[in-house]
Amino acid sequence: MFSLKTSGEVNSNGGGISSSDESNGSICHEISTKGRRSMNIVWHKCSVEKIDRQELLQQKGCVIWITGLSGSGKSTLACSLTRALHSRGKLTYVLDGDNLRHGLNSDLTFKAEDRAENIRRIGEVAKLFSDSGVICIASVISPYRKDRDACRSILPDGDFIEVFMDMPLHVCEARDPKGLYKLARAGKIEGFTGVDDPYEPPLNSEIIIQMEGEVCSSPEVMAEKVISYLDAKGYLQA
Amino acid sequence: MKDCRTPSYTVDADVKVNGHAFTNNSDDSNGSILHGSSTNIVWHKSSVEKIDRQELLQQKGCVIWITGLSGSGKSTVACALTRALHARGKMTYILDGDNVRHGLNRDLTFKAEDRAENIRRIGEIAKLFADAGVICIASVISPYRKDRDTCRSILPDGDFVEVFMDIPLCTCEARDPKGLYKLARAGKIKGFTGIDDPYEAPLNPEIVLQQGEVCPPPEAMAEKVISYLEAKGYLHA
Repeated sequence: MFSLKTSGEVNSNGGGISSSDESNGSICHEISTKGRRSMNIVWHKCSVEKIDRQELLQQKGCVIWITGLSGSGKSTLACSLTRALHSRGKLTYVLDGDNLRHGLNSDLTFKAEDRAENIRRIGEVAKLFSDSGVICIASVISPYRKDRDACRSILPDGDFIEVFMDMPLHVCEARDPKGLYKLARAGKIEGFTGVDDPYEPPLNSEIIIQMEGEVCSSPEVMAEKVISYLDAKGYLQA
Repeated sequence: MKDCRTPSYTVDADVKVNGHAFTNNSDDSNGSILHGSSTNIVWHKSSVEKIDRQELLQQKGCVIWITGLSGSGKSTVACALTRALHARGKMTYILDGDNVRHGLNRDLTFKAEDRAENIRRIGEIAKLFADAGVICIASVISPYRKDRDTCRSILPDGDFVEVFMDIPLCTCEARDPKGLYKLARAGKIKGFTGIDDPYEAPLNPEIVLQQGEVCPPPEAMAEKVISYLEAKGYLHA
């Protein structure tokens, strides 16, 4: 009667799917159709996989996780990195904390547990982008080591590239691009990272961006440091 | 020698990310604050915008939202569509309910409010992919009209392409690719769409995929979607 049958093993994006999407209602997630595989015949080939998308884009997907104090230059670096990669014909996308807090993460507050959830979700979305072949740049303070490491753990080895904007607090505060340090010092913001909430620097970030003595490199120079890393690791080709 | 206590450049709160101005409210506005504005000067040109990514990819980003009963063929059509678009050199990505419920949405249950949240988050991610220039295919039952319409409302006009898998329940149940209808009929699953939870069919989907006497192959269904995308200009920059 039916000209097609689908197996529970149809792959989306090359990954196996289990029974939970359509397992709505209260059920065991362990229920799978694997035991029923012999009853259904997969009649069509697997869909496009990550390797195919990478071939199309001539790059490898990854997550560049830029972390650092407010005012350390994360968004600026993200922008210059995007420009430099785009000029090389590479597809990138920036997940900026702001964008996400106005959309996906609009239900989250700044309580500790919501901050962790903010980072978790950004990590999961970055993983999806990386899987799609995009060079995904996450630009978010992400002050707690545990939360950043949790994001690292969900990605394949090497695909989480942590970039630490290692700028001294006094430099960030002197910049104060959004006037937030001033508000924090005046007690009008509570729990502001660097003032009355900790920033836990990465212990083993892939890339560290620092000042050279008293001088800050330009964003373009900083971006080139990241691009050299990506190039050396093979992310700028299929 | 430059003195970094007086920075050599200032960043305005209008630095554009992905082509969108970001406000100074939230990412770095941790803690509870007033939403103020900055008086700093933009010194550098804006970043890569959506139109630049579309030029690079030679396509326009959009969301193809495939909705329908379990077993109606959503994932199958999503796969066929991806293959066909990839063969045309187009960049796509599938947001399958399963993938997302194992990752981003693993904290969600199947209670009504969590189902709505599941759809909301998928819609927001699809929006990001579309903004990135990707043709994003969401394949998820999404049984409630209100939740699907909310996803539609967050996208620019035209960029939400609703594809309704209009396949009768009896056909879906006969397929029962994951054995779930059987479990639902036996009362082992509660609130299963089509059995004891409603499916609200779209009222104005852009595309309706139906079967006649015979169910068309997925490739034919995919071509119907591709013709739509072509006609609306999504397959070029």
